[in-house]
Amino acid sequence: MDGYRRSLCALALGLLVVAAPACKKKTDTAAAAPDTSMAAPAPAPAAFAVQSVEVGKQVGSDKRVTSPSTTFAPKDTIYASVATEGAAPSKTIAARWTFGSGKLVKADSQTIAPSGPEATEFHITKPSGWPVGKYKVEISVDGNPAGSKEFEVRK
Amino acid sequence: MPDPKEPDFSDVESGSSSTAPPPKPSGGQTYTVVKGDSLSKIAKRFYGSAGEWKKIYEANKDAIKNPDLIHPGQTFRIPDA
Repeated sequence: MDGYRRSLCALALGLLVVAAPACKKKTDTAAAAPDTSMAAPAPAPAAFAVQSVEVGKQVGSDKRVTSPSTTFAPKDTIYASVATEGAAPSKTIAARWTFGSGKLVKADSQTIAPSGPEATEFHITKPSGWPVGKYKVEISVDGNPAGSKEFEVRK
Repeated sequence: MPDPKEPDFSDVESGSSSTAPPPKPSGGQTYTVVKGDSLSKIAKRFYGSAGEWKKIYEANKDAIKNPDLIHPGQTFRIPDA
């Protein structure tokens, strides 16, 4: 019986000795030499992100502010241009305009399907004239803060 | 009653535009079932593969109780391939 047990142990030990290096080799090979027979994956599209927020008195056909400014006259139309990059099936860009310590002036949003570098403009105007003071426009994407810009209205 | 010291922004006008297009409406095209149709046949017609029937079923679960039993006149959303 002891002989039989010894034989079994020897056999099991032998199998372990043979199997262990084989397993290790497979792992090493996979790590050291990735399979190059498969086509390289296409580069992932750039993640959507806000690049910049600019304010000014007018925008061009590319929806970008032509000459950024942080001071405005009471009768000016105020533009905020949001430059973005990256592609996405749907993104909602929102602009929240506030006055002084946070009084809401206006909130607006635009839902887009960007496919690369894009620009989205928001504008506000007040026929009776803007009260003099400090203002802020806060930009969010899908509800997440993505930038802001402060500006002032002077007489 | 509005505070007379607080500025009034009720006449503010706003707008927005973008170089990016608006998102495509979800759901793609629609198809109205005719006599002899099955989800597999519709899938073959739109996707080139009958095996894609589940895609149509998933998009129209509210209208399809039994995927083996669809009726002429039912209109289904056909998701983009």
